[in-house]
Amino acid sequence: MRDGAGCGVFVVLLSVLGAGTPVLADDLKIAMPNWPSGQATAFILKVAIEKEFKQPALVQEMGTLNAFAGLEKGSVDIHPEVWQPNLTDVIEKFVTEKGVVVLAKHTVPAWQGICATPAAAEKGITDITDLSDPDKTSLLDTDGDGKGEMWIGAPTWSSTGIERVRANSYGYAKTMTLVEAEEEVAMAGIDAAVATGQPVVFACYAPHFVFDLHKIVRLEEQPHDAAKWSLASATDPLWIKKSSASTAWDTATFRIAYSTALASKHPKIAAFLEKVDLTPEEATAMSYALEVERQAPLGYAKAWVERNAARIDGWAKP
Amino acid sequence: MRVRSSSLAKCNRTFSWVSRRLRKGLPVAAAALLLAPVIVLAQTQIYDAKTRTWVDYDSKKARQYYARNKQSPEAFRRQIVTFRTAEPPGTIIIDGNQHFLYFVQPGGQAIRYGIGVGRDGFGWAGIVRVGRTAEWPVWTPPAEMVARDANAAKWAAGMPGGPENPLGARALYLYAGDQDTIYRIHGTAEPWTIGLDVSSGCIRLNNDDVTDLHSRVQIGAKVIVLMQGAALYKGI
Repeated sequence: MRDGAGCGVFVVLLSVLGAGTPVLADDLKIAMPNWPSGQATAFILKVAIEKEFKQPALVQEMGTLNAFAGLEKGSVDIHPEVWQPNLTDVIEKFVTEKGVVVLAKHTVPAWQGICATPAAAEKGITDITDLSDPDKTSLLDTDGDGKGEMWIGAPTWSSTGIERVRANSYGYAKTMTLVEAEEEVAMAGIDAAVATGQPVVFACYAPHFVFDLHKIVRLEEQPHDAAKWSLASATDPLWIKKSSASTAWDTATFRIAYSTALASKHPKIAAFLEKVDLTPEEATAMSYALEVERQAPLGYAKAWVERNAARIDGWAKP
Repeated sequence: MRVRSSSLAKCNRTFSWVSRRLRKGLPVAAAALLLAPVIVLAQTQIYDAKTRTWVDYDSKKARQYYARNKQSPEAFRRQIVTFRTAEPPGTIIIDGNQHFLYFVQPGGQAIRYGIGVGRDGFGWAGIVRVGRTAEWPVWTPPAEMVARDANAAKWAAGMPGGPENPLGARALYLYAGDQDTIYRIHGTAEPWTIGLDVSSGCIRLNNDDVTDLHSRVQIGAKVIVLMQGAALYKGI
């Protein structure tokens, strides 16, 4: 869910690409987020573009805000997975106002919300309003302060701040301690909770491998109502206090983004990106392959491109 | 991973010769003496098959239990458990709340060891790695402990490895990148403290278990420390 803000470290994946790999000025730069489907897609695009257009492409890990800044400056050409509505503010700035970034038309439907382990659901925590019931949230208490704890996302994800807004708006910020941590730590915690039958609730999103690993229950909540969502600009230090969101997330989607400059410099590649039509099932499979099966992203991407050769050839046709 | 310096100092200085109080109100998974299910309660509890009740499992009862049975309650004994995870085999996952350390195995399983944790846990959560290991490690008490504890002062220059050494039979030194975090997974001279929150720092296993873990773990293995009570969690 992703849409990591901040996290400004520009890490070149030397381990994957090979230490000392020269970065040439005409290499395409693909930003890689820190969640698995985005990582897999970044490498699939790299391998497919190099195959179809003989154009070298470099994958670099970075947060989404840095990626958008790079798309504007020319240091990044492609972002494989931009989530909406999480990045509405950023899209407004870079796509609508400045016109320096293009969102590919094809979108992949997604979902985000709050989930529960089977033990939590069995104890009656099935609706988001249950998180405001101290009798129920005391079951989620892990530090003895009477309040439950829940993971709301990684510190670098902009969705994490929005989950904080939702907790304030629904009121469960008073009965739950909202915890931020890297996703790997949180997911290992879910594994341990399921293994011992502990009740836990946590922020979650789909497509995601956790739904294949465990019988995770999505908490019910009122359908999205745009009138009940008011998010201040995330550039305002007080944006969380100034915002409100008291219904479910809007239907989420994600899609590829690329720089306007790329469309001018490499129109065939831009046209190719417009035709990439990944499905939610494919995104789930990517997530599972990288996180559960521990496949290396580059190797996975090469195999994926080989399996989908005809389809990719079709994307590359004018 | 960022580690607060205060936490580092805390872990290093709190080696002690005695078990102290349980962390007030900290819920942990109860240990089952027989086949009782694990439940969450305000402190460690175990199921007494004779009275068919859950009873507090504190330092005193732990000593008594160990004296009678020469081992920890069943839940804290080394065992293979079902453990579905995305983490690769060879990964260590430490759940301080429930006093379990998981060593991930292929096929959706893990070896689960009972652990004793510091009174305040690790005070952080995150991902580190096994930087090095040692057999019968030397223990050097921190200066502040030497200053206040005559028993520790005897070993200011380092206590040789052995059965009385608080690090026990083996130590796994946890690193963040190439830097020693000062946190360790180690054995213990006080095996009855497994399952408890005791004043000693870091993560302790009984000597048989830490020897078993040491024989299996690879240098560089990933170690995930779970959030041990969100109030203690300050970020990674």
